[in-house]
Amino acid sequence: MKQEEKKKTVWSILDIAELGVMIATLEVGKVALEGLPNVEVVSFLIILYTMYFGQKTIVAIIAFVMLECMIKPINIWAVMYCYIWPLLSILTYLFRKYRSIWFMSILSGVYGLLFGALCSIVYLVLSGPQTALAWWIAGIPWDLVHGIGNFVIMLVLYRPLTKVFNRYCQQKKSAIG
Amino acid sequence: MENKEMETTQEKKGGAGKAILGIVIAVVLIGALIAVYLVFGPKTSEGSKAITITITDDQGVDTVYETKTDAEYLMDAVQELDGITIEGEEGDYGLFIKTVNGITADYDTDGAYWSIYVNGEYGNYGIDAQPVADGDSYAIVYEVYTE
Repeated sequence: MKQEEKKKTVWSILDIAELGVMIATLEVGKVALEGLPNVEVVSFLIILYTMYFGQKTIVAIIAFVMLECMIKPINIWAVMYCYIWPLLSILTYLFRKYRSIWFMSILSGVYGLLFGALCSIVYLVLSGPQTALAWWIAGIPWDLVHGIGNFVIMLVLYRPLTKVFNRYCQQKKSAIG
Repeated sequence: MENKEMETTQEKKGGAGKAILGIVIAVVLIGALIAVYLVFGPKTSEGSKAITITITDDQGVDTVYETKTDAEYLMDAVQELDGITIEGEEGDYGLFIKTVNGITADYDTDGAYWSIYVNGEYGNYGIDAQPVADGDSYAIVYEVYTE
């Protein structure tokens, strides 16, 4: 009984290794595409990780945000990151049974389109509705780029990556028993 | 066996229907965003506009430039002037000013940053997204964040 409880609460070495890979790929993916404003693979990775690793992804996101804060000068984006990425993971988790390429592409695309609106919540709290609205509207062209980018990235990478993840999960299952 | 095939076909049809619905939602959202931007987005006016640009440096010294411009955005108006050089970093939401006339504001070192004021009010846009309107006065001010 005690051992069972232990199994539920204590993370295995494999869990920690998976987390390490998740955090590293999130950070590398973020940095690799920083030259292209609002084109990113972080949304794609968070959706995929949530589909395959579930709630563990939230821990990876927290570590990823902390890593970003250590690397880059902290500004208002840090506050946005604290809720914007976990929210994407929660949404994916809620819709996890709709595992189709189209559903996930649309989810990722729509999230990109609404990214500016969601980020403007911070300005709503700090400076009021007028500033938040002006900030969001000024960024709409970038939200469009973000949404289309997210949609295309998911559409192109979903099948090859899910193939890899399916194979990995099967191997893990047979190895653990 | 046939039943299974029928179920799969129905599932596929249902999936395709959901995909189409999703695409319609996304397209409507894109249309709505474009409409909001076109109606409420930053507006510019063309023609000759008389504007004032004030640079306040790290010592609090003001340099005032009065000019007439056809530029649509403040960055273009500034670039037309002799004696102002502005450098910055392209961010997700426009140019983030780092250096003005050789004076660099380094937020990480001492909390310093360059801010933009429009007619005395704190600006909502980056310098390359700030529309230029006739009669407006703009200020680019070196400020230091203090708790």
